[in-house]
Amino acid sequence: MAFEQEAIPWIDDVYRFALSLTRDESDADDVVQDTFLRAYRSWHTYMPGSDCRRWLFTICRNVFLRSRERARPTVELDATELDSIAVGSLYSTAVRDGFDDAFTRLDLAPAITAALAKIPEPFRSTLIIVDVEDQSYESAAEVLGVPIGTVRSRLFRGRRLMQEQLLTYASDAGFGPRPASARAATKCLTHSAGTSRQTA
Amino acid sequence: MLDTLSGDVTPDCLNVLLHVWDALDHQLSPAAADTLHAHVAACDRCRDYQRFQVRFLQALATLRTRQGAPRHVRLRVIDSLMTAGYTPR
Repeated sequence: MAFEQEAIPWIDDVYRFALSLTRDESDADDVVQDTFLRAYRSWHTYMPGSDCRRWLFTICRNVFLRSRERARPTVELDATELDSIAVGSLYSTAVRDGFDDAFTRLDLAPAITAALAKIPEPFRSTLIIVDVEDQSYESAAEVLGVPIGTVRSRLFRGRRLMQEQLLTYASDAGFGPRPASARAATKCLTHSAGTSRQTA
Repeated sequence: MLDTLSGDVTPDCLNVLLHVWDALDHQLSPAAADTLHAHVAACDRCRDYQRFQVRFLQALATLRTRQGAPRHVRLRVIDSLMTAGYTPR
């Protein structure tokens, strides 16, 4: 297959991914351009029949990291159970305050875009790859260069942070009081468990 | 959902709380998925919780259809590729 048929059609996906990484449209433009340029020059290394979008995402992330001239984000978490319980707490508060159906009653697109910008790396890129771009854990692991278990832990933390943001947005939009109690409970659980850690 | 942890929580409800995303992401073994789905089918509270999580993930997925590369980015990419020797058909 030619570059035109295999790679070019993924420009929208690569742009979204680049924008999620850079959080700046101008920087995203540069990353997308460089991604496709590198992809074109490396086209002979692409294996026909493999997942071209995944291949482009990998290049895109590498371009982004090089452009920032900084090391790969190093925060790793193994607190997925804690995140799951914290999300349960958020849900309880949403039910109690009457906005548990906010995800269907509101047009959340502006809120999602704004909330994504506030999610720190590496959680944001993981969330984008799996939940927005509908890639598998395996694909995300390959793009991000981490084990599948790390994808899972990053994804769960990213989803938890997104739910906190979106439920606060729903509250502000008039669905109920700000879920401060949920955030307090979440923070309390996080701090008391102390399972977050930094790795080099 | 978390309220149940201090009250009449059952092991099956706790299992849903901890693994509903694994189930929705098809990351559970068939046996574990069957156990979880069987409980969700029988428990109103867990069914509502799963529905809440499904709607959340559906809301995130809508972003994919709403945002694409602007025209100027497409033109810029094609222009740079042509400079590198690419010839569009």
